[in-house]
Amino acid sequence: MIAAQSKPLAEEIIDEVIARHPERTGDVLAILEEIQQLHPLKYLPPETHEFVAQKMGVARSQLMSVITFYAFFNLKPQGRHTVTVCRGTACHTRGSKQLLDGLKAAAGFRDDDDEVGSECGAATSFTTPDCQLTIRTVACFGQCALAPVAAIDHEIYGHVSDLRLRKLVAAIDADTGAAP
Amino acid sequence: MKIHDLDGLHDARRTGMMKILPGKPRIGVGLGTCGIGNGARDVFDAIKDALKRCGVDAQLTKLGCFGFCAAEPLVNIHLPGFPLIVLGRVRPQDALAIVESIAAGQPPLDKAICRIDEWDHLTGHVMYGRGFADLPHWDEIAFFKGQKKIVLRNCGLINPEDIEEYIAVGGYHALYQAMQKPGVGEIIEEVKKSKLRGRGGAGYPTGVKWDLLRKAGSGLQDGQKYIICNADEGDPGAYMNRNEIESDPHMLIEGMLIGAFAMGASEGIVYLRAEYPLAVERLKHALAEARQFGLVGEHILGTDFNFDIKLVEGAGAFVCGEETAMIASLEGHAGRPRPRPPFPAQKGLWGMPTNINNVETWCNIPVIIERGGSWFAQTGTASSSGTKVFSLVGKVVNTGLVELPLGTQLKTMIYEIGQGGQGAPDGKRVKAVQSGGPSGGCIPASSFDVAIDYESLLQLGAIMGSGGMVVMDEDNCMVDVARYFLEFTHAESCGKCIPCRAGLDQALTLLNKISAGKASDADVELLEELVPMIREMSLCGLGQSAPNPVLTTLRHFRREYDEHLRAHRCRAGVCDSLFLSPCENSCPLHMRIPLFLELTRSGQIAQAAELIWLDNPLPGSTGRICQHPCESQCRRAHVDAPVNMREVHRFIADQVFAGALLGEIKARLARRRLPSSGKRVAIVGAGPSGLSAAFYLALFGHQVTVFEAREAAGGMLRYSLPQYRLPRAMLRQEIDVIESLGVAFRFGQKLGAGVSLDVLEADNDAVFLATGTWSAASAGVPGEESPGVWHAIDFLEQVARDQPTTIGKRVVVIGGGNAAVDSARTALRAGCAVTIAYRRERQDMPAIAEEVRDAEMEGVKLMFLVAPQRVVCDQRGRVTGIELMRTRLGDYTLDGRRRPVSTGDTFVVDCDNLILAIGERPDVEPLRRCGIHVRENGTAAADWVTYETNRQRVFAGGDLVTGASNVSSTMATGKDAARAIDAILCGEDRLAQVLGAFAVAQRVALEPEGGARNSSPELAVLQRRTSDAEVLLGLTPEMAHAESRRCLRCDVRDPAAAKG
Repeated sequence: MIAAQSKPLAEEIIDEVIARHPERTGDVLAILEEIQQLHPLKYLPPETHEFVAQKMGVARSQLMSVITFYAFFNLKPQGRHTVTVCRGTACHTRGSKQLLDGLKAAAGFRDDDDEVGSECGAATSFTTPDCQLTIRTVACFGQCALAPVAAIDHEIYGHVSDLRLRKLVAAIDADTGAAP
Repeated sequence: MKIHDLDGLHDARRTGMMKILPGKPRIGVGLGTCGIGNGARDVFDAIKDALKRCGVDAQLTKLGCFGFCAAEPLVNIHLPGFPLIVLGRVRPQDALAIVESIAAGQPPLDKAICRIDEWDHLTGHVMYGRGFADLPHWDEIAFFKGQKKIVLRNCGLINPEDIEEYIAVGGYHALYQAMQKPGVGEIIEEVKKSKLRGRGGAGYPTGVKWDLLRKAGSGLQDGQKYIICNADEGDPGAYMNRNEIESDPHMLIEGMLIGAFAMGASEGIVYLRAEYPLAVERLKHALAEARQFGLVGEHILGTDFNFDIKLVEGAGAFVCGEETAMIASLEGHAGRPRPRPPFPAQKGLWGMPTNINNVETWCNIPVIIERGGSWFAQTGTASSSGTKVFSLVGKVVNTGLVELPLGTQLKTMIYEIGQGGQGAPDGKRVKAVQSGGPSGGCIPASSFDVAIDYESLLQLGAIMGSGGMVVMDEDNCMVDVARYFLEFTHAESCGKCIPCRAGLDQALTLLNKISAGKASDADVELLEELVPMIREMSLCGLGQSAPNPVLTTLRHFRREYDEHLRAHRCRAGVCDSLFLSPCENSCPLHMRIPLFLELTRSGQIAQAAELIWLDNPLPGSTGRICQHPCESQCRRAHVDAPVNMREVHRFIADQVFAGALLGEIKARLARRRLPSSGKRVAIVGAGPSGLSAAFYLALFGHQVTVFEAREAAGGMLRYSLPQYRLPRAMLRQEIDVIESLGVAFRFGQKLGAGVSLDVLEADNDAVFLATGTWSAASAGVPGEESPGVWHAIDFLEQVARDQPTTIGKRVVVIGGGNAAVDSARTALRAGCAVTIAYRRERQDMPAIAEEVRDAEMEGVKLMFLVAPQRVVCDQRGRVTGIELMRTRLGDYTLDGRRRPVSTGDTFVVDCDNLILAIGERPDVEPLRRCGIHVRENGTAAADWVTYETNRQRVFAGGDLVTGASNVSSTMATGKDAARAIDAILCGEDRLAQVLGAFAVAQRVALEPEGGARNSSPELAVLQRRTSDAEVLLGLTPEMAHAESRRCLRCDVRDPAAAKG
């Protein structure tokens, strides 16, 4: 099932997205953002880079440079559900590091499992092998008054404790019938 | 639909005002992201439902955010003729009551936090109504008092998704006015006159910047010019731009329109971060509306002015907030900055002249045009005009968006508005504020009297930045804060220039080393050399400002760095490789609490007792009277209540003293003793510090002699603590254990009298001085020498010696510490009527809270906010009363407490005896005579890690060095000094050898166990008044066991591994 989902997006869909952005200011970011969001596993497979570069008349190297530069773009398939732990300053002062560590440990990840930025806390992402769950961080949600904050599939939860977060995550696991 | 002229604008204004004041009840729900995160959408739906069910004719509308995040969800209620009422913390289940109240023609006041009679939108005005004088006006409640809403003029009061409501409060009128001016130069003149400076952080004068772009265009033939709004609010801890766009997107659009008109730009771009989906949505909606109304696009307001705004979503790169990086990003590249010049005004987007301003800068523009530049400049200071919106978050009660005139003092924002350091559940002392995010710095509480303006913050090494203010307290480690920000800037560095890319990497490595306790002084020196280089040599603002968090923490919190370096300790309990668990880290003696709890849980009482003794040689005493700082960071508190660790180790100690275990513990400790070293150590003072030092030095294998001035050991525990708290027989048993390790005691030996330091030095390899604090401090009250006035310490000693005290019937105790409460409860037991008079409030009393509660239960009267003026005496000079001055709480001082100030109202409380418990000081004269250095505050000078004095191999500890403290802290100095003495005598640190390793199960329960907190049963209050029997009876075995199960085992670092 995962293999089927990780196929690149159909070329007609990409064509449509590109056609929606005739102006050149900001078009590369906007097109890549839309294409990634349209992919069921929220990522940009290599075939897509090639196709977009060709269609837009942009060097593939430039496109790769953009994709690898911005935290938003994923080169690997993402989980069906995403838990995002905010690592903003207010959240940090209220223990978001412990939240993240606890969540990672509960999902069976070790510190050396980092996919991105192994020695920095600012850009990390972990996806379970079955692509059910991705744990990632965000520099700041701007929800600082609710710190510490975590989001589960874009739903924001404020003042979370590690126990509560683990329960929330267990609940989505239960919903999808996936292994915790 | 398109507005062509002023009449059209007026028509829209009238239509809009009909929405704001619809002639029927209007209910507005704050639906900013914060509100939604707090459940405002459910509240909105519940109210909608309730209106339908009740058949009430009212207008329900979305609002932006009024800024008071801590009170979300906020709901505004307006009934025609009444003031607007703001409700706070509204839940969906409140909806029905709210609607029913409205149906009855009464605004619901249950959850009301303030009212608004009328509102000056600065570009317009709304009169709501009068009434409800009992409810504070919005600017009278702590959070809003002192705020001035210029940028946030409409936020939380109008529907951000309705352009007509914006027009109703004067929106787009400033644009019309600007377009009527004879020349665009006049618009720029107004902006210059306002002295507005860029709100993105750097503070460059906006008018000057605009002029550059206007002139840049003059040489070009039909040249394209761009203006950009920087809404890539990347500073963690700052969210004002998000709120500004979500709550009032049209003020941004109007500001950009005026700017475009003045500078001659035909295209605008808002670069908005993708992490703000609601802001994206609202701005898109607002742009569509503005196009529909002919305010954006072609022929704006029926003229030849054409201007369009494009929204571009950033993709999560902090460096794109830098203007040249943002331009690169908009051109479809990775967001890497380039050197300036050329500046964007010369060569910007697509090589064309470009102006970039922050969201908040644009938002100020319509008001400046409407009210004039000089009106704007009246607010703020001469060089920093206007207001700034700050996101006040972290360790404050009132979190939210705070808009203040520049020049306001930091303490006003943090203590008065934010109520920092007050209230449950934290209530810890505020230590610093981090201003300006990763580019800013940490400002210590001792500098909170600084005015918030561009220059003053710069002087402290911080910056205003975008306005993020993250308040930190005792639980935040400043080394960790520096490390956190470096982790961030290191990860966000674009990698283009080496000082930033490689420099931050090296700096982070050094900080990681410090926070792991593995760094040396040389590492800190290297860091201090490296970071200024990064600042000087980096290409853009990211690298240039990234060192600020490191530099400011080094400058203002050097002691914390030293603690990590020298003592390998993180006082705040953050750098987790330096401690076992938060409780162990908070315990001055570093008791391995989770381990003894686990041993207790599994019934291994002898092992638990051995472990406890090795960590704390007076576990029975501390188990009764310790201030239990261990509880302050216990994670169980987040579930229900902290684990009662103190009473569990008291239980174990009592088990030992009660029976057969005593011999076994003595034997186990004797086996732990290292082989005899042949070294001799003398200790002066047999108080808790001297006893602890003796215990550990004996375990290290040294021959220890303790010299004590009094006739028994125990110090304050023996001669000051009342028996109802600490029974003498138990203390005696504890001292016996220490004696069993071979420690010799010589009583009646006073330093400088019976025993001389020179002799001790000659006879021993090292000397430890711990003579305590036995001199009472003066209260400075006239008449305090009169007969009938006691100093607490003398009174308590007299009682402890079982000597008659001839205390009268009525006693007043002055003070709020443990000595005051002990004196009061002791006097009460002697049959007196007792009053404690304290100059601050109850929560400020340094005494243990449970002791204060018990004193009150037993019948001690407590008086707060009174200051002693003079002792009232009769003709014979004997005390008959004390004159007290009533005080009230005045300004906040820098320590976050309000200063008691006189009210002028004095009164006399009659009494037969007065007990002064103002504090105790050490008697340092004998030390001074021996050539030991004494500090200005009257304590002995000794190194804070080794406790060595200026005389080699002479150490000093306990209250003599720290000033009056508490039992566990004073014992810790003895323990640490013993460790240092042994290291000098034997050439290595041998503490770990003595403490040993205890294997305990690494188990973590999946759900919290053990039920509710167990506390010791207490002696009935009636029995206490006539006896000095112990009040706390101690946990039962069942309670102790249940309590040990409550531990969440923070010492187990890998719960995933432990589970299986």
